Amino acid sequence: MRVLVVEDYPPIRKAVAKGLREAGFAVDATGDGEEGLWYATSNDYDVVVLDLMLPGLDGLTILNRLRAEGRAAHVLILTAKDAVSDRVKGLDLGADDYLVKPFALEELLARVRALARRAYCVKNPCLEIGDLRIETAAQRVWRGLEEVHLTAREYALLEYLAMRRGEVVSRTDIWEHVYEFNSEADSNVVDVYIGYLRKKIEQPHKPPLIRTLRGRGYSLGASG
Amino acid sequence: MTLSIRARLLLWITGGMAILLMVFAVVVYGVLSRSLLDGFDEVLLASSRTISGPVERDSARIKFEMDERDAPEFYRSVEPDYFQLWLEDGEKLAGSPSLKTGGLERFAGLPDVPAFRPVRLPDGRAGRAVGLLFIPRADEEAKDVIPAQKVTLVVARGTASLDATIRLIRWLLATATGGTLVLALLLGAVAVRRGLRPLDALAARIAAVRQDDLSAQIPTERMPAEMAPVVGKLNDLLRRLEDAFRRERAFTADAAHELRTPLAGLRCTLEVASSQPRTRNDYREAITECLDVVRHTQGIVETLLVLARFESGQTTLRPEAVDVRELIEAGWRPLADKAASRGITFDTHLLMNFSCMADREVSQMIVAALLSNAAEYTDDHGRIEIAGRNIGESVELTIANTGCSLSDTDAQHVFDRFWRSDPSRTGTGIHCGLGLALVQRAARTLGGSVSARIADGTFTIGLTLPAAQPKRHLMPRS
Repeated sequence: MRVLVVEDYPPIRKAVAKGLREAGFAVDATGDGEEGLWYATSNDYDVVVLDLMLPGLDGLTILNRLRAEGRAAHVLILTAKDAVSDRVKGLDLGADDYLVKPFALEELLARVRALARRAYCVKNPCLEIGDLRIETAAQRVWRGLEEVHLTAREYALLEYLAMRRGEVVSRTDIWEHVYEFNSEADSNVVDVYIGYLRKKIEQPHKPPLIRTLRGRGYSLGASG
Repeated sequence: MTLSIRARLLLWITGGMAILLMVFAVVVYGVLSRSLLDGFDEVLLASSRTISGPVERDSARIKFEMDERDAPEFYRSVEPDYFQLWLEDGEKLAGSPSLKTGGLERFAGLPDVPAFRPVRLPDGRAGRAVGLLFIPRADEEAKDVIPAQKVTLVVARGTASLDATIRLIRWLLATATGGTLVLALLLGAVAVRRGLRPLDALAARIAAVRQDDLSAQIPTERMPAEMAPVVGKLNDLLRRLEDAFRRERAFTADAAHELRTPLAGLRCTLEVASSQPRTRNDYREAITECLDVVRHTQGIVETLLVLARFESGQTTLRPEAVDVRELIEAGWRPLADKAASRGITFDTHLLMNFSCMADREVSQMIVAALLSNAAEYTDDHGRIEIAGRNIGESVELTIANTGCSLSDTDAQHVFDRFWRSDPSRTGTGIHCGLGLALVQRAARTLGGSVSARIADGTFTIGLTLPAAQPKRHLMPRS
């Protein structure tokens, strides 16, 4: 899941980005409104965490432009403004959620996870594909009764595929949703990580979970 | 304890009334009893003339003869009148038959001038007597023979009916006075209660004023003329209180909002740092970050405290003539090195003796905040220009900086509580200065104002403060 954080106060920006990264999200962060809009319109983010008071361009304008362009990214507004009228204005302009500063990081993470699930029309925080079980809140994975230990990047890749279970997911999609903007630009890296993931979750004598569709991408689960 | 207005009015009304009525009653009583007594004395004197008339002297002696029919009052057996006559040597000449064995006390005034006095009658009744010293009428032959000898006559009469009349008058007056007083008390109580009803209504209105809504004003129509000024002043007080409360609320909100962002930063940083075991360096980085936030927060809190003290009057503003050039120099000193390293040009166009009338500490705070703002927003190799001029009884200081990417419509928002246009904060620097909203507040505290305009990439802040030397026009030196 890829998240954009637009927040001008460096301590919050850094901490939120770090917290989200450690929670398995691919995170891009900026403190400037114009730059935030550019990020949001040139990438396909699952969730945008947006501060309202920004230099350059304020949060509500960014939100307005995103919606005008038909961007479907879920937007969580993060602000010190707590008046009901402010919340209503933000939600009416197309925001999906609202969090008032100061907030608990845990709550922010839970809200971002919920918004990310909503982006793929998934409501259950526990994803099950055959005997593969993913607990998104705790970021833990089981195959049958055996827990599978994944790195943050491997987990992010598996969670994204699981959110889109049964669909063919292109390398570009994976690249855009699992990797950050500043990641090393090597498309092979997706194949490499699919390889790592396969080694950890596939089991002998069982039908493979991740299928490669040559020239189109990958698909997790469903058909045998 | 202070008496209530009601009790005081009642006391004055009834007390005054009581004194007036009593004086009136005493005067009436005095006049009436005097005139009754005078009437009585006149009768007594007339009666004495009846006795003195028949006293005659001839050549040998003084004689007295009287017929019962001429003065029957001295002869009756029930409550009679009395008289007695004495010769000059004290010998009794004659007495009324009613005297029987008793006698009257002899007294008299000057010759032919009657003297009156209350006496006890021989039968024990209270009475009044007249004493008269006179020379009896003499017949022709005795005229020159016997030297004129004076005779003393005392006539006494019972005063029972006079005393009864006077008692009746006394009783009537006392009853009338007492009754009138009681009635006055009752009427006074009713009048005072009715008269003070508007005060009760006012008290109820004041009691209905709630602390959270001081906007309610007390209507002055149908208010008695005496109370209208009081209510007017009360309404003024309410308006001032409401203003103060509104400022207080706005200030608290400002403070809370200003602190929310750094608090959120602190909390996030600490929560992320403690969410899992980390390396020494990670912890050190988090601690450094938190310290920066704490310094930022401290700056905000101190600024807010200074402002709060001034606004609440805990610290008195001490307006004095402050040289604006000194303010600029002191404010720019800590910023100069960093600005120079970024190639920023700093120009001041101020003449000597350009002074404002303001509290030194607050004006220094404002100017320092504006300069720090300007320094942070100016683009590298940009320019900051300071100019000043006198407008009437005010001085206007303008601080203009280049490198502004905002439009003029943004200018009206720069004083909004949350409005921030601070690209420097997106870097490593944390802005510890006074927000423009607080600058505006501080300027107002000094009786001045701030304004902002943006044109051609130049952001200009105008600070107006009362002038120390009004009416001196100073042209900026370019």
